[in-house]
Amino acid sequence: MFRPIFWIAQKELRQLFRDRALLRVVLVVPMIQLFVFGYAANTDLKNVRVSVLDEDRSEGSRRLVDAYYASDVFVPGPAAGAPRDLDRFLLEGKTDAALWIPRGFSEDLARGDPASVAVTVDGVNGNVAGRVMGYATAIVRQESLARLEKVALAHPGLAARTHRVDADSRFYYNPELRSRHYMVPGIVVLIITIVSAMLTGIAVVREREIGTLEQLMVSPLTSGQIIAGKTIPIVVLAFLELAFATTVAVLWFRLPFEGSVLLLAGCAMAYLLVTLGVGLLVSTVSATQQQAMFTLWFFLVFGILMSGFFYPIENMAREVQWLTYLNPFRYMMSMVRGIFLQGATLPDVASDLVPLAAIGVVTFTGAVLRFQKRFT
Amino acid sequence: MTDTVIPILVEGLRKRYGEINALDGLSLRVEHGEIVGLIGPDGAGKTTAMGTVCGLVRPDDGFARVMGLDCREEGQRVKEHIGYMPQRFSLYSDLTVAENLRFFADLFEVSSSERRERQERLMAFSGLAPFLGRRAGALSGGMKQKLALCCTLIHTPDVLILDEPTTGVDVVSRSEFWTILRDLAGEGMALLVSTPYMEEAALFDRLILMHRGRAVASGTPGEVRSRFGQRLLEVTGPGIAKARERIVGLRWPGVDVHRFGDRLHVVHDLEEEDAGIREALARVDVRVGPVEPTIEDTFISLVTHSPEAAG
Repeated sequence: MFRPIFWIAQKELRQLFRDRALLRVVLVVPMIQLFVFGYAANTDLKNVRVSVLDEDRSEGSRRLVDAYYASDVFVPGPAAGAPRDLDRFLLEGKTDAALWIPRGFSEDLARGDPASVAVTVDGVNGNVAGRVMGYATAIVRQESLARLEKVALAHPGLAARTHRVDADSRFYYNPELRSRHYMVPGIVVLIITIVSAMLTGIAVVREREIGTLEQLMVSPLTSGQIIAGKTIPIVVLAFLELAFATTVAVLWFRLPFEGSVLLLAGCAMAYLLVTLGVGLLVSTVSATQQQAMFTLWFFLVFGILMSGFFYPIENMAREVQWLTYLNPFRYMMSMVRGIFLQGATLPDVASDLVPLAAIGVVTFTGAVLRFQKRFT
Repeated sequence: MTDTVIPILVEGLRKRYGEINALDGLSLRVEHGEIVGLIGPDGAGKTTAMGTVCGLVRPDDGFARVMGLDCREEGQRVKEHIGYMPQRFSLYSDLTVAENLRFFADLFEVSSSERRERQERLMAFSGLAPFLGRRAGALSGGMKQKLALCCTLIHTPDVLILDEPTTGVDVVSRSEFWTILRDLAGEGMALLVSTPYMEEAALFDRLILMHRGRAVASGTPGEVRSRFGQRLLEVTGPGIAKARERIVGLRWPGVDVHRFGDRLHVVHDLEEEDAGIREALARVDVRVGPVEPTIEDTFISLVTHSPEAAG
């Protein structure tokens, strides 16, 4: 019963280690992805150029400008001589943001009147623009409050008017809001996804392509044994890659790993049910390895984009958000991030693990049934 | 092997794929020590028939039995008795000759002592022994075919089913291959072999001419040829192209001309036509004489004269 599974598994591994091209895809490419993405997938705001037009030329306006450059987000852009320069710089891409401090800024502040400045941001990359605007206005607000406070101290009678609520925000789990902490766990998921789904799809379709699947079908093997023999080595490989990627994430990228390794492995097993199932399903509808690759790629791109890997799910349209509940990536991403950064425990991840396991069981069972129907 | 059991028995097989009748009431049997040929053009239903016997195809009607076991109901047990070599070469080209043999032996749960003994014999008669360490993909076409055969024989099947094993194999390898098949039959194995080559027909003990999913003739090669119910003249010589034009130019309804390489076969029904044809070719540079019909003549004759063949 189990021996034939071993024979097939042994043959699969033998073939894998002889196929140099496939071996590269499976072992080397994920490593490169991990390192390149680890560095490149960096959405921290840095080196945003800001051009300043200071028409007030007062101590107050200079302090505001200094406050901009003091943060590590902003660096000086080209200097503007007139308001239209700011527009031109933005249009020509010479700067990312523009700050216009009109005449009378300091006087307004000194009187305690509302003072206004103009902040313009290049909106081509909407994702970045929103955050630049947030930073830029925050700096203005901070500066004006500091000024007001001074005014209030000098004129105690004004104190009542400047009474304010100060919201002090703090970010938990990722205090520096480092995007790497957010991205690397996602890449770990990506790597085991690609390896397990692709290899499963290829392992079956390749045998169909060369005609050996027919040979296996006329042997006393059951289709269950064929599936097990083909998928077990892939599961082992996926776990090895998971272990490696996690090690690199912690030792090289200095990610915290707060949760339990065992829980991570358990979640990965539920997730692999999905990816193996999808790989198998695709193999039953594909005649060639290319077809299988492209079909898988189609699902992968969808799954990744709608998993919260790059864009938070909360920002998606409500209908699309509902759709993501069908997306296995979504649950896995959220669990892996939780285990890495929050030290999530089984009860914490249950709300993700249960639907993921359900999708896994349905997908894998469906794939096995379809495989049996197609090949026996 | 008990000789009371018929190794392969097929009765009234029918299988439709959409509009196409792949099998239309096919019956056949293969005894121990016999090589039976399925002969017919592409699309005649040979592969479907073999697939049904191997349990790969579920027939709509009729049954196939191997060693007395129903191929549909007892598919798993049937597989232990069958060695099947599909039409397309299908071994793992990235594994070595020895690894391929080992893998198929393992799949069929052949014990290691039995495997060694069997492998030695197979290597001896196939001549593959010097290539045990070579990757299957690096073998020549004929060698690959022999390795495929060895892999299907490693579990000592009672029944061997070969789908066009000699297609695309060179002439020398082909004759070696046939020697091997003959040896296997000599050991009592039952062989069902398909081929599109009519000239291989004489090598079979019995053959079945297939057309549109049914047998149009069956029996020993001699019996099948005797089904040729027409008259036949063979035309040879440098002027055969011209001769063909002349005969076609006669526009006699019952006369057909077929070209086989360097000769023409003129098929007709009536004795009087014989003289007419000779007269038409009198001044063409060819020799004309009566000849025994080949399997191919028989096939064409049977197919063109069967009532269903009109379309």
